[in-house]
Amino acid sequence: MRARFQKIAETKALFVEKAAVCLGDISVLEDITFAVEPKSICAIIGPNGSGKTTLMKAMLGLIPFTSGGVLFFGKSKEEWGGTVGYVAQRFSFDRTFPLTVKELLVLSCGKTCTHGHIQEKLQEVGLPITLLHARLGTLSGGQLQRVLIAQALARNPDILFLDEPSTGIDTTGEQTIYSILKHLNRTHGTTILFISHDIGVVSDVVDQVICVNRRLLCEGPPKKTLTDATLSELYGSAGGSRLEHGERHLQWMNPKRPHHHS
Amino acid sequence: MDLLFLPFMQRALLSGILLAGCLAALGVFATVRRLSFFGEGIAHASLAGIALALLAGLAPLPVALAWALCFGYGIYQLERRTDIASDTLIGILFTSSLALGVILMRYTKGYQPELVSYLFGSILSVRWSDIILLAVCALVTAWWLHRFTRALILSSLNEDMAQISGVRLEPLRLSLYLALSITVVLGVKVLGVVLVSALLILPPATARVISKSFQQFQWRSVFLAEATVLIGMVASYKLDWPTGATIVLTGSLFFFFLTALFGKKS
Repeated sequence: MRARFQKIAETKALFVEKAAVCLGDISVLEDITFAVEPKSICAIIGPNGSGKTTLMKAMLGLIPFTSGGVLFFGKSKEEWGGTVGYVAQRFSFDRTFPLTVKELLVLSCGKTCTHGHIQEKLQEVGLPITLLHARLGTLSGGQLQRVLIAQALARNPDILFLDEPSTGIDTTGEQTIYSILKHLNRTHGTTILFISHDIGVVSDVVDQVICVNRRLLCEGPPKKTLTDATLSELYGSAGGSRLEHGERHLQWMNPKRPHHHS
Repeated sequence: MDLLFLPFMQRALLSGILLAGCLAALGVFATVRRLSFFGEGIAHASLAGIALALLAGLAPLPVALAWALCFGYGIYQLERRTDIASDTLIGILFTSSLALGVILMRYTKGYQPELVSYLFGSILSVRWSDIILLAVCALVTAWWLHRFTRALILSSLNEDMAQISGVRLEPLRLSLYLALSITVVLGVKVLGVVLVSALLILPPATARVISKSFQQFQWRSVFLAEATVLIGMVASYKLDWPTGATIVLTGSLFFFFLTALFGKKS
């Protein structure tokens, strides 16, 4: 049985098995098992306080698992030896911190970094290279978020983790961020795992959705997984309206898509 | 120029240059990590070590160093093991240590000129052995900063980002606390318990106002610290003012002047 699990795990970018996390005496997550295919885009959804961020941080090794764990291509993170990128939900920092965009990118990619590489990463996230000499504290919310994605990409990660990448960004900026993610996934084959509250975006962008509310409630392709029943179970009575909102959102983003709720 | 030919002035200048470089280079990280109070705490806490050494008839500097290292390690462990805020911990430990120092001084016999010199500094009485110690400290600090600057900047900006980039946060924090402890205590000999933390805070605080990048911030901090010490020492010689206090006031003048020019709130 164990050997079979190992064989499955080796083919997966991420394999989370029977994971549980306690913070102090409080059990935040229990019995979470799922796998993420290589070169796919995957979203974790769930209501506030459901443990999404905790799950992501535990996968990254920022918080310890109480039991179970995560394998990267069938190995522990240390044994695997690949690289991960991470964009936090709220990047809290002192806005007077005298650090330029260029310095942040150089620090993130290490000694092997070239000026061309940094420029390439900045352009990949749709920012002009003139921004290289700007101080981080002077950037707008959307620019900062893109710079953070660029720094996460600076080490050419195999897997990119993003915790609500569109938090605090207007709808146009949000669309741009998800377009960047799709572009990265298609051109570099980067496996992307992100947390989102926006069901519409999730339906449109991802290959796989993972529904978490302290435990795993559902997972699979969004069209099959995101039904009224599963969303109601995940979000309670607000689930149905979320789907409705999601559909409306999709309609707005993609006018050719049929609108079921009109 | 005549002051450059006076042996005590040569030693004072050399020690001031070495100390200013170390304190400003570490002060960059002390200020961005909001550890300014840590330097103040270490300086005051070292008084207990000095009093203990005088009471036991030992050389004050090594005992003060050992005491300060214990203080730094104690703060680090208490931060890890309790939810008490860092500034509260520093305040509690440094006032306790200071109180212990005052009680120990009660048992030292007669007038203790060395104790007074540690309180207010005595840069003009610096010996070659002190300069060698400062030079070793400066070399180690330069090596340590060169080795860990990337980790220090990333962890000062955002700890999660630093960890993902492979930075081991706990050993780094401990080594920063110990480096600060050693440098501040060496500074106590030169500038005194009361004034030493000024060189840790003033040049980086001034440099931050006039810097657009971290590289500028680091180099301008060190440059301002060296200028502060040199101008302060020359002014003190010309005006016959206490050296440590004149150095600190020079740093304050730099700060207020440059902040008035460039430090508008954005």
